[in-house]
Amino acid sequence: MTSYSLWVMEFAHVPNYPLSGLNYGAHNQGTRRLPYCYILIKGQGKVAMVDVGYNHKEYGAVLATMFGGRDWHPPDVVLAECGVAPKDVTDIFLTHSHFDHMGNIEDFPNATFYIQERELSKWVWTLSLDRRFRWLMLGIDPADLLRTVDLARQGRLVCVNGDREDVLPGIDLHAAPDTHTYGSMYVRVRNDGSANSQDTWIFAGDLVYTFENLRGEDPSDPEYIPVGFASGSQFNLVMTTDEMVKRVNGEIRRIIPVHEDRLKDLFPSRVTKEGLRITELALAEGEPSRVR
Amino acid sequence: MRRANQGHAPLDDATVAYVMTARRVFEDLRQVAAQLAGLLVLEAAGAKSGGPEHPMVAAAGQRHAEAVAGIYGTRVTTRARRHHEFLVAAADAIGRAIEAANRGIEIDPVLIPLRNAYAHLQGASRELPGFEMVSFEQGCCAVPTRSNR
Repeated sequence: MTSYSLWVMEFAHVPNYPLSGLNYGAHNQGTRRLPYCYILIKGQGKVAMVDVGYNHKEYGAVLATMFGGRDWHPPDVVLAECGVAPKDVTDIFLTHSHFDHMGNIEDFPNATFYIQERELSKWVWTLSLDRRFRWLMLGIDPADLLRTVDLARQGRLVCVNGDREDVLPGIDLHAAPDTHTYGSMYVRVRNDGSANSQDTWIFAGDLVYTFENLRGEDPSDPEYIPVGFASGSQFNLVMTTDEMVKRVNGEIRRIIPVHEDRLKDLFPSRVTKEGLRITELALAEGEPSRVR
Repeated sequence: MRRANQGHAPLDDATVAYVMTARRVFEDLRQVAAQLAGLLVLEAAGAKSGGPEHPMVAAAGQRHAEAVAGIYGTRVTTRARRHHEFLVAAADAIGRAIEAANRGIEIDPVLIPLRNAYAHLQGASRELPGFEMVSFEQGCCAVPTRSNR
């Protein structure tokens, strides 16, 4: 029996993003449409998400003018397509601390947030470094730190140290230290609830941007190509990719890169009236399709 | 892709010179605010390492002093006057937060002026081009912008 319904919810996109930013070494290979998405997980009496996107009030205008970010819509509009309101969300797994993944926590007033302790502690550590190390702080918004303080005071921040199984029934968190960021993590959903699940999904955060990161350019001769950016190591990214592939028994379509525009080629999907795509990965018992 | 004046009226040369000088001040204030916020995160999350003896408090104080010196070392044009007021207000608020942190990391006495400071920095970021609260060179939306600097 399928435990959770799973959707990839686009909330904004960039029409022309350089491929070199996505796949390591892909210089002068043109651009690609880059969707911004978060994951909606619904079932077992819970509504969970993987990441929360960014706060348009603070970043939207800059993103729109600098990078062509378009069609941003707030979570209440995006999630309504699946019959969910932000206040319904109970649990949120933050894969890492970049503004475009954890920059909108204030829109989820009832959720408990999970993040790797290392992601926070190393983030704070970098703040203590000399100005010449400021590259290490790129992509981090000080306002997110202030919001994190509020979460902690309200008892809604859970710092995870390493892997944690069954954070919700059948949902595991896996640490990926020193990869894309200091304390990235990915989320595994064992959607049949079994310890040796044959229905496993992995939500990779920014450990994977594209299908090429998982399989390379040549399907007949697969290889792992790390993402275009890491503050940790490319070695760790490659080894983590292999770990994720093993966890889905080699079925790489079950590793979901949220910035991959071609998910629509693998799974049922539709485009909303706002021009944003919903991709449906799984439906729990009794849950109607949101894309048909 | 040019961004220097996107959303802003063209700047005169004197104001451009102000922007070039004030950016360093703005970045320092933003960094100090982030340092203090980081200490609050440690405290709120129950870490034991976030007290006033934490070296980051002293580092924040030093950088704040440098930023204050920078603020009063800039030549403020009419176009930049409001921006400068935001910087002064942010520096004052951060100064209060540092004083509170030196007395001990209790959250509210530090957090309240810090929020105030952040709001002033946001105001400054809207007032003139070249003052972003987040560097967008990283993260999944980040096309490198170094050529525009």
